[in-house]
Parts: sequence; structure tokens; C-alpha cells
Amino acid sequence: MIPISPPSSDATRLVTPAMLVLWLVLATVPLWIARVGLYPYLGIEILIWSLYALAFNLVLGTAGLPSFGHGAYFGIGAYAFGLCQFNVVANLWVCLAASFAVAGLAGALVALFISHRRGIYYAFMTIAFGQIFWTLAIKSHGITGGEDGLLKIARLPADFGVASFDLNDNVAFYYFVLVLFALAVVAMWRLTHSPYGRVVAAIKQSETRAAHLGYNVWIYKASIFTLSAAISGLAGGLFAMAQLAAFPDVMSLHQSGYVVMMTLVGGGLVSFWGPVVGVFVFLIARDVIGALTNAWMLYFGLLFIAIVLFRPEGIAGAVSAAFQKHSLIRRQGYSAMRLLFGGERWR
Amino acid sequence: MALIEAAGVHVRFGDRVVLESIDLAVPEGEFHGLMGPNGAGKTTFFNVLTGRVKPSRGSIRLDGRDVTGLSSHRIAAHGVARSFQIMTLFDEFTARENVTVGLPAFRARGFDMRSAAASDPGFAQGAMEILATVGLADKADIRARDLSYGDRRALEIAVALAQSPRVLCLDEPTSCLGSDGVQRLAALVGRLKGKLTIVAIEHDMEFLFALADRISVIHWGQVVARGTPHELQQNEWVRRSNLGRFA
Amino acid sequence: MFDLLPHLLNGLTLGLLFALIALGFMLIVGLMEQINLAHGSLFALGAYLAMQLMGSRPPFPAELAKAWLALPLGWRYAATLVIAPAAVGLVGMAIEFCMRRTYGKDPLYGLLLTFGAAMVIEETIRLVWGTRDYVLQVPQAVSGGFLFGDLIWSTYRFYAAGISVAIIGLVWLVIEKTSFGATVKAGAHDSEIVRALGINLTRLRLLVFVLGTVLAAIAGIIVAPIWGIRPHMGVDAVIPAFLVIVLGGVGSFWGAVVAGLLVGLCVGLSGAYASEWSLLSMYILLVAVVTVRARGLWGKKSVLEA
Repeated sequence: MIPISPPSSDATRLVTPAMLVLWLVLATVPLWIARVGLYPYLGIEILIWSLYALAFNLVLGTAGLPSFGHGAYFGIGAYAFGLCQFNVVANLWVCLAASFAVAGLAGALVALFISHRRGIYYAFMTIAFGQIFWTLAIKSHGITGGEDGLLKIARLPADFGVASFDLNDNVAFYYFVLVLFALAVVAMWRLTHSPYGRVVAAIKQSETRAAHLGYNVWIYKASIFTLSAAISGLAGGLFAMAQLAAFPDVMSLHQSGYVVMMTLVGGGLVSFWGPVVGVFVFLIARDVIGALTNAWMLYFGLLFIAIVLFRPEGIAGAVSAAFQKHSLIRRQGYSAMRLLFGGERWR
Repeated sequence: MALIEAAGVHVRFGDRVVLESIDLAVPEGEFHGLMGPNGAGKTTFFNVLTGRVKPSRGSIRLDGRDVTGLSSHRIAAHGVARSFQIMTLFDEFTARENVTVGLPAFRARGFDMRSAAASDPGFAQGAMEILATVGLADKADIRARDLSYGDRRALEIAVALAQSPRVLCLDEPTSCLGSDGVQRLAALVGRLKGKLTIVAIEHDMEFLFALADRISVIHWGQVVARGTPHELQQNEWVRRSNLGRFA
Repeated sequence: MFDLLPHLLNGLTLGLLFALIALGFMLIVGLMEQINLAHGSLFALGAYLAMQLMGSRPPFPAELAKAWLALPLGWRYAATLVIAPAAVGLVGMAIEFCMRRTYGKDPLYGLLLTFGAAMVIEETIRLVWGTRDYVLQVPQAVSGGFLFGDLIWSTYRFYAAGISVAIIGLVWLVIEKTSFGATVKAGAHDSEIVRALGINLTRLRLLVFVLGTVLAAIAGIIVAPIWGIRPHMGVDAVIPAFLVIVLGGVGSFWGAVVAGLLVGLCVGLSGAYASEWSLLSMYILLVAVVTVRARGLWGKKSVLEA
């Protein structure tokens, strides 16, 4: 009999301890956020961007595809939400589904053109297409409102048939986004640890080998990109609700770059939770440093350069490296760290 | 009818002819060696055989079916597996994960996005059996990049074996191995011999002459000599080029 | 036919400007296989520096400033065309010194590094010059307009087109006809060949990168009088640069030039008949070409892509 070591528990779980801890902490945020000098809207922003960054990391971290124009799908989701509300039906679920579907469709279209490429050429094409969508959004005044944005988007009530919740209050909306975020996290955790996710991760490491093992590399690359675009679109739809409007600036090269920054700074390349860490650091730094100096982007840019040069594995990577260095802390801290950051991602 | 039938395979890149015309027929169960000097076109022929390169002319038949110009993943699905001279493993995966991805059962569920890959005992069982064949059972949970060179070579073959292929193409399996490593590999390939059809590119003549049923010598993009190791020893061309001195 | 001529000429001059803007970017992508996302900000930095030099308060010590202001406008302009790109070249050098650490790693890191650099440069521009618009003064000889066939033509547009042709030609000569160009082509990214030839790879990469950034600055100075100087100008420049390169085929010199002209003509002509759609027309052109030729007009398969 061949001994089979038990499969590590987290990868097979639907809900991991880390998720529970995170959700519990997040659920208490509206109770204390005002007391530490911040405001509930920041919590909403953090959740939406976390969802977006996690979706983006499916492409960057899981599949190793350097997409640098992901803001396009986030923005398309936002516009789709508004346009669906104005022109189709003012139903929350239909509009969110539209955000997901339209952004996914745009992603699929782009994937069609870029999935045979790799590395820097892949990045190049994603930027080019991202800019096309951005210009379209700015120039099509009649549809998107151009640079003024698509205004007067309403936070439609969450109608569950038996009960309907009004989301106009920021705290109510925060909990609504938190529920969607939690569901999306479960889905993405599942996805990355499913056979599909493993194949995508294998393709990241060697396209050649995967192809010779019988995997149609193109389909996998195209499908993960499409999925990531769709979930980014869902986040965009929520963002339109949060802002009560949809603006083209989230689609610009800069904003697309920010999501790459957040993901990388947090350590998306080594940990499932890296993007969330990055979003927390980025948005809180924006508010805290931004209150002290109006040159915060300058400092953040310098910090980012330093991270790329000296700590490319990001915060989650640095934390786990620190834990591994000090064996004493390691014994007690390792499980805590794994709890927080997912440890070695694939175990 | 032979399992693999290559007829008049011709490959050119731009105006550079890499393969003039290769004919090869390998019956089921044979261990067929390919040898020849560097740059003779052996690896290119492998690339044609496994769908990495489309031939400019000529055809490849597999069990009577024309597979010329099919992409790699289709040819792999027809039961052709290969190892690489420059090792091509999933470095961040453990040995077991490397093999798991190769299993046909895993491939069949490649678009399963809902279940957890690690929760299926069938995959783990299948992967462990393959790893045991190549002597890596006790190193199943070590990441591929942390394995020793010899173990990586063995894993290279294990991943190919995981596909339960009909044809196994080995591209210089002993490359850069020490004599212990070569012996270990020879033992492994010896055990596989007869169970499946093997085509191997190899520079180690001792290895090839000891194991191969027949050998084709490729030079300038053509087969210049072919026969059993014994016949090749008698071959004038092989003698002259000093290739047969190990036999 | 005569109605069309102004639009054709307008499109051609615009196309040459696009080609000029893309030139430095293309060199770095084609020769080093690095995407320089700071290209736009360096382009803007060149324009801002030139504006400062040409303005009434040059960034020099008092004595020197007086002497500088005493020079005729034409002389100052000529000197500015050298000084501002040189200063931007120094910034490029600094970026390359950082970028060195990423060579041999995932090319994504180079991309991210230049993105960070772009953020820093843009923020610096915003802190120093604010968000208002500026105008770059140019000598009398190239400003104003002239009458030809009942139409007023802008002298500067022809001057800018002429300069673009000259610079594109010069860069082509350097790459194709000098030993420096030959080594660079042998492989600023293929270290093995270059090392085998006993060439200092570190210096070669530095030179290529600095050349690319200097060209970005020159393009900024040439384009500034037409588009104006404002914080957004870098982004406005990068978009057509990307398009031109994808359209022409990554790494192809003449591909980029022809694509620049094509995009210019496309924008110029559609601008004449459906101005709403003039910017969109270049994207339609891009999608049309990429659908038929996945690697652009003259694109070749790259080593990294194999």
C-alpha cells in the first residue's frame, strides 16, 4: 500500500479559518471606524477594491498573465450597471448580472486577441486594449456622459422577495457589499484550488509542458482572463452604486496600474490574501498620508519603486519570510501566519 | 502496421532547411533510439512528432491516423508523451502535483472549477503509483525546484508517464547525469521497455546500445543509417564516425 | 480633390508627430524588450523643462539667467532643444540604474518600475508647475502662418513635421549604419551574443535607454506648441505611441513609422468628415489590422514570445 499523506485542509475547505476571521473583523468595522477618525465609506471602498484586486490576481498571481489594463473591465462593469438601470430594468440583481456579463464579454473579446501571447507582449496588448476602452468611454458622450461621467445612478434596493433592504445608508450598503465579497471570496478560493485553478497555475509555470500534457493552453488563458474581467466588472457595478455614478477615470492606465500596485505591494504573487492586504495599505495610506501632504502619490511612487526593487514578493511575502527566518516565532507564529496569509499558497 | 509512421518529414525555418526528409516507422512496443551529432535535427524531429513544429512537407501517422500539424495538446491527447532535454517541470509544484497534472483523469476534469483538487483521493493515489515507479515515492511532497538534479530527471519522466501514453518520447534523458544517475535511469527505462513504445534521443551510446531495439542515425536532416545495435556496429558509416565504439 | 488636400497634409504631419512620439518608446521595447511606462511623463517633463528655459524665469543663477535672456530667441530655442532633452536623459539614466536590478527577472518588474517612476515624475511636475496650462514660446521664424491657395497654413506644423523626418532619419542612420547600431541590434536583450563579442552590455543598455528617454523629451518639445503643455499631455502621448507600435508590429522600425503615418492620416481624414469619431478611427484601424495580422504590419515573433 502506498502511503498517501492527507491533503492539506485549507485547500479542500469551502470556508477557511482565515476567511471567518477576516469576515468577523470586517463585520465589526462600522462599529468603530468613525471612532478612529475614518469613515464608513472608506470601508465600502476597501471591500470593493479588495474584490477587484482578488479578481485581478486570478490573472496576475494564479495565471501569471501580466494584465495592465484591467481598469477597463472594472469601469465597464460600472457603466453596465448604470446603463442597465436606466435603459433595461431598475432591478439590483439584473443590473449586477449585467455588470458581470458585459465586463466578461469585453474580457472575452480581448482574450480572443491576446491569449496566444506571453510576457511583455501580453502586457503590451492589455494596455493597448485598456486604452481603447478608456477612450471609448470618454468619447461616447451620448452613452457614458464622457468625462462628466454617468450620473444619478441609484443604489437599488436589495429585493429578496420576502424582504427588501434599502441600501442608501452607507452602513447598510457596507454589509451588502460584505456579503457579496464573502461569497466571491469563497468562489475564488474554490476556483484557485479546483482542478481548473491548478491547471492554470501549471500553465503559469510552463506553457510548453502543459501543452504536451494535453491541455489547450489558449482556452485556459482566455477563460481565466474572461472570468477575472467578469468579476472585476461585478466590483465595478458595486463601485457605481457606491459612487452613485460611473466615471471613466477608473479605466485609465493609471488606475489600472494602481490595482497592479495594490496586488503586488500586498504580495499577490505569493498569497491568496495578498491583494486584500495591498488594498488596505493603499487606501488607508491614501487617506492618512493624503491628509498630511498633498504629494502622497510621490511618496507612494517612491515606496512602490523600492518594493519592486527590494521586496518584489510584497508584504505577505516579506511577512512569511520574516517568520521563516526566526524559528522561535515560527513555531507559534507559523499557524497564525498561515491563517492570515494562506501560507505557502498551494499547500 | 507500425504505431508511428513518419514519411518524408521536411522542416525549414525561413530559408534554412533543418530536416531534409525523415522516414521512420516504429512498431508498437519497440524502443527506438535516435542518435547523431548536435544540430542534426533530432530535437526538431521530436518537435514535429509531438506537435510543437509543423512540418513543411511530409506526414506523421499515429496508429494509422494522420496527425500531421496537429497542435501539441491534441497529439498529447492521442497518447504521445514527451520529456524535455532542458527540464520543463512545474517548479513551484510538489513532485506529486507535477504528476497529478499529467494524469488523464485530471485532464478530463480540467474545467472543473467547483471541487477541490486536493480532496480527490483518486488523484493522489494515481500520482503516488507513478512516483513509486520512478523511485520518488518518498519525495512526493518536495517542491520540484528543491529536488536534486537526478530526481528532477526522474520526475521529468514520471510526468510523461502520468499521461499513461502509448508513445513515450525521451529527449536526452541522461543529459548531465553522473554515472550513478545514468544507471538508475537505465534501470527505470529498462523496466518500461516493452510496456510502451519508446523513442529516445540520446548521446550516451552505452545507454542506447544496451537498451534500444533499433537505432536510427540522423545526420544533415536525414536518416543515414538504421538497424539493431548489432547491425549498426557493422555499419561502415557508424564505424567511420566513431559512434559505435561503445557497443 | 483640392478640398481633401489640407486634410491629407494635416494627417501626414500628425502622423509624423505620432511616429516621433513613438520612436523612443519603440527603441526601448524593440531593443531591450522593456515597456517604458514612464515614456509619457518623460515626454511631458521635456516640454515643461523647455517651457521653463524659454520663459522669462530660466532655472539658472542670476548672472547666467541675465546672459541667457540676452540671447536671441532663436539661439535660446536651439540651446533648449539640447539642454532639456539632456536633463531628461539624466532622469532616464537614473531610471535605468534602478531597472538594472530587474534584468533577468520577470520582465513585469521593469514595467512596474517604470510605472512607479511615471508616478513620481508626474507628481513632481504637478508639485512644481501646478495644474494650469502653459504655452511654449517658439522663434518667429517657425511660428505664425502663411497663405497658400486661399488657405492659411500653420508654419509650425510644417516645421514640426520636418524635424520629425530629420530625427527619424537620424535615428535610422544610427541604428542601421553605425557600429553602435549593429551591436545594439545584435542584442541589447540577448546578452549571450553581446558578451561573446566582448561588448560592455551594461553600458549598451544604459545608452539605449537614455537614447529612448532623450527622444521622448525631444518629441515633447516639438509637440508642445501644438497640443499645449498641461499635466495630461503625457498620457495623451502614450496612447497613440502604444497604438502605433502595436499596429506597426513590436520591434519594427519602419512598421512604427508607417503605422504612425497611417494613424495620422486616419485621424486627419476622419476628423474632416466626422470629427466626433476621429480618435476612435485609429482604434478601428488597429482592430482591423490586428484581426488580420496578429503581430501587426511588420511584427516578427520575438525571442521572449517563442
